[in-house]
Amino acid sequence: MTIRILLVDDHPIVRQGLKTILEGHRDWEVIGEASDGAEAVEKAKVLSPDVMVLDVTMPVMNGLEACRVLRRQAPDLEILFVTQHDSPQMMREALDAGARGYVVKSNAARDLLEAVEAVSQHRVFTALNGRDVAGMH
Amino acid sequence: MKLRILLADDHEIVRRGLRALLEKHEGWEVCGEASDGREALDKALQLKPDVVIVDIGMPSLNGLDTTRQLLQHDPHFKVIVLTITDSDQVIREALDAGARGFVLKSDAARDLVSAVEALQNKRMFFTPRVNDLVLAGFLEKGHTVSRNEAPKLPTLTAREREITQLLAEGNSSKEVASLLNLSTKTVETHRSNIMRKLSFHSIRDLVVYAIKNNLIQIEIPTGPKAPTGPTAA
Repeated sequence: MTIRILLVDDHPIVRQGLKTILEGHRDWEVIGEASDGAEAVEKAKVLSPDVMVLDVTMPVMNGLEACRVLRRQAPDLEILFVTQHDSPQMMREALDAGARGYVVKSNAARDLLEAVEAVSQHRVFTALNGRDVAGMH
Repeated sequence: MKLRILLADDHEIVRRGLRALLEKHEGWEVCGEASDGREALDKALQLKPDVVIVDIGMPSLNGLDTTRQLLQHDPHFKVIVLTITDSDQVIREALDAGARGFVLKSDAARDLVSAVEALQNKRMFFTPRVNDLVLAGFLEKGHTVSRNEAPKLPTLTAREREITQLLAEGNSSKEVASLLNLSTKTVETHRSNIMRKLSFHSIRDLVVYAIKNNLIQIEIPTGPKAPTGPTAA
């Protein structure tokens, strides 16, 4: 079954990099992109993705706020944060907001595939720099 | 013959995005990648790319110093600097370092192809803000410093700047020596000179200096609320 993924990051170049990695996986499809949290919420309504890859710091509405809204709006959607914030505190905030995964951008090329795989199966995946907590629950 | 491009950015995800963007262009080829300034220098000297694209905020050796050293080795290198900020200081430093292109990361998807095309045609490419500075006479010889500008700090040599960055990144003198193929004693001497020139008394002063002068870039720790605004890629 195809996993349908929505990419959300305010940098088009980052979205392109993420897309390049994800589309290498046979059963995954990037169905749309958004450049801020508000657009992410709107597109999730229209496109009904299975997984959202979401940045934290974005204009208009940041990723944590978007995650909280989406948790209420789309309870079946799994959210994976891919962020520059290599911070246990931020990671806890993200998981409390309803995300299932959290990886750091500097390691995204290494962790992204495994992270998307895990969250699409409703398992938690987290990995911070130097203190990999690849916890799959 | 294809135009050969070397990419230098510490985030592989960004390099992948840049590569995907650039390789759509027929006649262009990404001939190599580097994840820090030192590796970028080595690869540029080895691969001799037509264009080098460097991120300003790289560990070990930042993008501006990489640009300076590349052009010291060979003034024919054509460098495009990628940055998250277009502050006056960064623009000034990129121009002084010899960059021929200056692109904001947030606009890279829109501007980078045009920037590479410009350099391919022996032209320069800068964001509109840089053009404003040029029009304002910044690049005129003997340009005057604006009244609002801080007094000029003592100038560090290229080696001193390298060592400042590595120390500010948390490396010990011994580690710096190992990275730069110097003796620890030599690094300690440079360190003393740096501290004396800049009238610093602690490594903390050095770190603050490195941040203010874009030798290193840091994330600002956030509390419970994530920031909303422009970001680093």
